[in-house]
Amino acid sequence: MPETRLIAEFFDKEWKKVEVLITDKAILWEKSKIEFKEIVDLEIVQHSQKECIRIRRERDYYFNFGDKQRHVFRFLAFNIKSDKFAVYFLSPALRGGVLVANSKWEKGYFSITESAVWFLSPERQIRVPLNAIGSVNKDTRTVGDKPRVVLALTHMEGKEVLTSFILCPETTLELLMDYLRRILEQQKPKEKLSEIEEQILTMVYTGLDSSSIESVLGISTEELNKIYDKFVNLGIAKVVKIRKEIELTPKGVVIVSESAKNLGGGKGG
Amino acid sequence: MVKVLIVDDTAFMRKLLKNILFSAGFDIAGEAENGKQAIELYKELKPDIVTMDIVMPEMNGIDALKEIKKLDPNAKVVMCTAVGQEQMVKMAIKLGAKGYIVKPFQAPKVVEELRKVAKV
Repeated sequence: MPETRLIAEFFDKEWKKVEVLITDKAILWEKSKIEFKEIVDLEIVQHSQKECIRIRRERDYYFNFGDKQRHVFRFLAFNIKSDKFAVYFLSPALRGGVLVANSKWEKGYFSITESAVWFLSPERQIRVPLNAIGSVNKDTRTVGDKPRVVLALTHMEGKEVLTSFILCPETTLELLMDYLRRILEQQKPKEKLSEIEEQILTMVYTGLDSSSIESVLGISTEELNKIYDKFVNLGIAKVVKIRKEIELTPKGVVIVSESAKNLGGGKGG
Repeated sequence: MVKVLIVDDTAFMRKLLKNILFSAGFDIAGEAENGKQAIELYKELKPDIVTMDIVMPEMNGIDALKEIKKLDPNAKVVMCTAVGQEQMVKMAIKLGAKGYIVKPFQAPKVVEELRKVAKV
């Protein structure tokens, strides 16, 4: 990207128009300057009712570049402070355990910043926060008719679990796997889960609700709640909904009795 | 209603699939815990789709797939695998499997895949 002057919106208590100069080393506006090597994270977010680029240095800066947003984001993603490795990647290869039919291998970089890993190609810049990484394993995939050892990375995107593959020289692959495994190790709960707890975790991952889990495992609501509390305390799950259990008052019973009479009409019920 | 035969050696995985598919409106024709049982039940129940685990005792999913395809060349079998079994999956697809799902899976995606296969 050659040195570029742009009119953008910058958020400083409110959105205001500023002239931004983007050089090969820094982004400058008004009397401020951020060098790319100081940027520790980058993300497209919604902020104060606008889609914008969040640039993190020692604090967050928000810019809206309008129709140039994707262009600027791509340029920054390739230039922020990171460790970059030349790779081929397929992302996502699987979505929720099912093959993504139109996914293609891309040539680019696997980039590691302080808080995320990135799949970078000229077409796509995919940011995966470190806490969204689920697992990392070696796998053998057929690439260009040859079996090749790849790195299989599972990661969350919203509520979906994706699997992406990275193809690179074996020494790089080992290095990436070690690094990602260390991160996962730090995120792992210290306590070992029992078989039933692991099964419940799998069912939650699959998308089963509480009553289905109770019926599959034959356990009570109280037992399940106790295990859920343990998951929450271990930081491996969060509460998104609290279920209500009710019993009918006499008024409610009258309504049910009345509706039963209507249901029974005419067909011997 | 689409009739499904679930084949997996772990009771937990069978229960899980049963729950997902039943909730999505599939009819669970039956369940088998190995390839041999799967073949017998296929003859008896004539399901529309089979979800077939690969690694099982007595007879694995690949051998069961071969036998089922001999009995019924139009059989719709979806392989159920773990990450790291790509070579087996490729073999299964060559042998006529209509699709595959990778464990651990997410319910909406499994349902989507089975509905797609049911229409083929």
